[in-house]
Amino acid sequence: MLIFDELRKDDPQLRFIAGVVLLGLLILVGGLWWVQLISSRHFQEKLETQSIRTIRIPAIRGKILDREGRVLAENRPTYNINLYVEGLSKNFQAAYAERVKQLKKIMAAKRAERRQQLGRDLTKLELKEFAVTESMKNTLQRECRTEVARSATADLSARLQQPVAFDEKKFQTKFDKARVLPIPVLDNISPAQLARFEEQSASIPGLDLEVQSTRYYPHGNLGAHLIGYLVHNNDNTEDETGDYNYRLADYLGQVGIEGIFDKELRGTAGQKFVVVNYLGYRQSESVFAPSQTGQNVVLTIDYDIQRAAETALFKSQANVKGAVVVMDAQNGDILAMASAPSFDLNHRIHPDPATKAAEDQRWLDEDIGLQRNRATYENYHPGSIFKIVVAMAGLELHAFDPKAVFHSDGYIMVGKRKIGDTAHAGDFDFDRALAKSSNPYFINLGLQPGVLEKVVNLGQKLHLGERTDIMPAQETRGNFPNPRIVESDAWRDGDTANLSIGQGYIDVTPIQMAVMTAAVANGGKVFWPRVVARVENSDGSGGMEAKPVGHIRDYLGVSARTFRILHEAMLKDTESKEGTGHAAAVAGWRVAGKTGTAQVEKNGHVDKSAQNTWFVSFAPYTPDYKAKYVVVATVEGGVSGGATCAPIAHDIYLALQERETRLEQQQVKSRTSLATLK
Amino acid sequence: MNAIGLQLNDRGPRMDYLQILSILGLMAISVAFVYSATSVNELASEVVWFKQSYFKQIIWFSIGLSAASAVCTVDYHSLTRWSMVAYGLTVASLVLVLVVGRSVYGAKRWIDLGSFQFQPSEFAKLAFIMAQASFLSRPIDELRSTRIFWKSIGMMALPFLLIMKEPDLGSALVLLPTGLVMLYAAGTPRRYILQLLGAAGLLAFLFMAEVLYAPPKFRIHMQEYQVRRLLVYFGRNYADYFGPNAAEGERKKFQEQQFNDSHNVRQALIAVGSGGLLGKGWRQGQQNALGFLPQAGKHNDFIFSVIAEEKGFVGSVVVITLYAVILFSGIRIAGQARDRLGKLLAVGVVTLIFSHVFINIGMNIRMMPVTGVPLPLLSYGGSSVLGSLIAMGILQNIHMYRKAY
Repeated sequence: MLIFDELRKDDPQLRFIAGVVLLGLLILVGGLWWVQLISSRHFQEKLETQSIRTIRIPAIRGKILDREGRVLAENRPTYNINLYVEGLSKNFQAAYAERVKQLKKIMAAKRAERRQQLGRDLTKLELKEFAVTESMKNTLQRECRTEVARSATADLSARLQQPVAFDEKKFQTKFDKARVLPIPVLDNISPAQLARFEEQSASIPGLDLEVQSTRYYPHGNLGAHLIGYLVHNNDNTEDETGDYNYRLADYLGQVGIEGIFDKELRGTAGQKFVVVNYLGYRQSESVFAPSQTGQNVVLTIDYDIQRAAETALFKSQANVKGAVVVMDAQNGDILAMASAPSFDLNHRIHPDPATKAAEDQRWLDEDIGLQRNRATYENYHPGSIFKIVVAMAGLELHAFDPKAVFHSDGYIMVGKRKIGDTAHAGDFDFDRALAKSSNPYFINLGLQPGVLEKVVNLGQKLHLGERTDIMPAQETRGNFPNPRIVESDAWRDGDTANLSIGQGYIDVTPIQMAVMTAAVANGGKVFWPRVVARVENSDGSGGMEAKPVGHIRDYLGVSARTFRILHEAMLKDTESKEGTGHAAAVAGWRVAGKTGTAQVEKNGHVDKSAQNTWFVSFAPYTPDYKAKYVVVATVEGGVSGGATCAPIAHDIYLALQERETRLEQQQVKSRTSLATLK
Repeated sequence: MNAIGLQLNDRGPRMDYLQILSILGLMAISVAFVYSATSVNELASEVVWFKQSYFKQIIWFSIGLSAASAVCTVDYHSLTRWSMVAYGLTVASLVLVLVVGRSVYGAKRWIDLGSFQFQPSEFAKLAFIMAQASFLSRPIDELRSTRIFWKSIGMMALPFLLIMKEPDLGSALVLLPTGLVMLYAAGTPRRYILQLLGAAGLLAFLFMAEVLYAPPKFRIHMQEYQVRRLLVYFGRNYADYFGPNAAEGERKKFQEQQFNDSHNVRQALIAVGSGGLLGKGWRQGQQNALGFLPQAGKHNDFIFSVIAEEKGFVGSVVVITLYAVILFSGIRIAGQARDRLGKLLAVGVVTLIFSHVFINIGMNIRMMPVTGVPLPLLSYGGSSVLGSLIAMGILQNIHMYRKAY
């Protein structure tokens, strides 16, 4: 063979040369063996590291639905027009080449000029002055890129026939940090713009459409506090371990159901790989792991009732501050939870530029307290509606005769203090006292021996002063005295008097009042209120109950007699002309209710303009504790419970009646369809 | 006795067909991979087909083949009569390039002649071989004289220094083994060569040690980029070398600089290594397509990386085998040459080609420091192609006029 022939030659020098050549080539082959075969894996990984970027793709968020599956929060496609710099890189290079050429010409001309001036050739040091330095080149590159991007944007402007702003700083930053990702030019374009863009897009280099999934609340400000909203947040969730080069915009639920069930709603993020070239421009991409859509959260809320409740609440007075809770008395499900003032959820993520400034100011205004969910997160004195509890305590202890007449002078002296009354002086039996909400009657009752202890006991059974866990982290527990405080020397008769009329050492939330009213309506069952029915997969399968239905927390343990007398009195409140709550009456249903007005102290003395007005009620009344609905309404600074809050309940009961009709029709339909199947 | 191409004087085939086949093989590979290396950019910028690099390479091959054939028409003795003239001309052109040459990245290696560039160093290597062969083909006894020895060294040193001044370290370097091996093959007493090598080796070692490890005050003045190249090859940390007391921010800058400087070698290594056994396929190399291989070098100095990435270990071995065939058939030609002149010429050409191959491929796998040495016949470039083909032509010439049995 050729090689071995040469090695066996007679000529020693040629033999040596042949040997050296053979050795050299074998060394090369050995080196190649090491690099290409043994270390191949290592270099392939290095190749991938320098040319592959990982991008985190957030998942499509799950929906929030009402109890019948109607959408309260969903996702909608928005269209963005983005700049894809890899499409423009040729233009960048061409523009840069032009500018560099020009610059060099200018420098050469300057050099020639200087040489003429001095009359001799320039020294090396002097030449440096006219050199085109690296930093000049870099600046030129930046300028060229910006110019090309700007002109692309201007081009877009012309095609869409509307001005498109070019944010130079944002472009530079995005280019430097993440040129692998598209750079947004125009977000959330309208259908008209979309159409114009599509018909012209054939020849626009570097610009393209991107479809994004955006959170959309179809009903704007309906149930805003309950539903909650999102804020921008790209961090890994707790159980995500991936390390990414880039993260696409993601959101975190803040407050409300969006916040509490964020983990279930957000799904699992996906991953994609982008191959980049040595300049960092994207070449191609592939999806490594698809994202998984989040689960849907089904609430116990009924959209129709929520709508009715909010309409009624906002109608009650101008710039209203207050809350409404509608509850199923038989199991504690919340059918509506409204808080005013409210805000548009969509504007949280996509502010309307026209109203942004005003809304931002409103958002932060302490006085308005826009962000607070007044149904769960505000402390109110219950005022006269607490007389229900006082009444129950007295009736249980047989501390008084309901038929006995008590004479009131329109006020009562407790120690040295005079406590007034909205009801005028007169004679009151129990029914009338409750209906007209007579303070002296109930203060007198409260001061009877043993009544105070029973009131505290009932309050504990109702779990006043404790959270209902309806909205974790967004609920206040209120205030209620415990037996130790009441027995201590610090507790005075004045405190008892105040407590008897729902003032002083007692604060409640509308939710707690709804639970209380439900317990009165259903014969003493104190429920854990529930606002989330279940969590299910996005295709509707696999529903899991978040909390059990009708979970009983406690029992009032009150006798049937007590209920009977109390119920009659509450019916009179709505049904009789004298009753303060007669504005709530509706045809066809018997409504039992109680109005209330609580005084509010501001800076040490009573502020009449800020009094809390209340109306608690349940319907349709049946003697066997089967009333289905509880409606609680409260308005800060209302005229009175009867004038301001009872009409709210009226509107809501009309809506509830429609609901009943609808449900019955559905049942009839399903029965007949079953029948025809048979 | 080979039956192919039987001539009247019955000497066996006039041409060394095996070598010619290998040359043609390498030429085909060159066109294919110059195309792969440059098509990414050239197609993208829509250069017209007859201006594209692979086509130009084909033109150069044609010109080169014609020149090689022309070389073969006359006996090599006639050629070497002009060797000193050629030597003088090339030395003159080396001086010329230092004066009027085009400066590229601080190096003046080319003379601009309108539509193409002329690289004197490529031709200086050939002229040197011819002049040296002619000089050393005197009677062997004369070679014992130290004066002759030093004259020969001088003949090597002159173009070496001129090329170093350009500066073109690689091209200058290949002159050294070529000259020394020719001295050895001519029959110079071995001890002369060994002593020279020993002294030079010691000097080189001291020089390297000094450059790499001496404290700043005692450093010999060298161009900074040359120092950096050495540092990169030997893996010394820039920060330790340039600024031993530098602050944290300064150290980071040095690290970045070092990263940038070792970029080419690193990318070449990644290209070669990720090719694996069979490579990624012609024109499918990612290092090539994504631009990680140096744009300016991937079709000449780093063409091997492109071949290695796209055709894998198999491709690399094929290339090395083709070179092996050329080199060993060259050695066979040297053995069968009619006289010492022919033998020396062949030995010179073989060593020259071997040095190029070893340094270039070694550079691609980080076994040798980065020097601008082209791969004969594979690298893109008119001067390199012409030089290589003329050298092959000389080999064929010696073969044609070899000993008659």
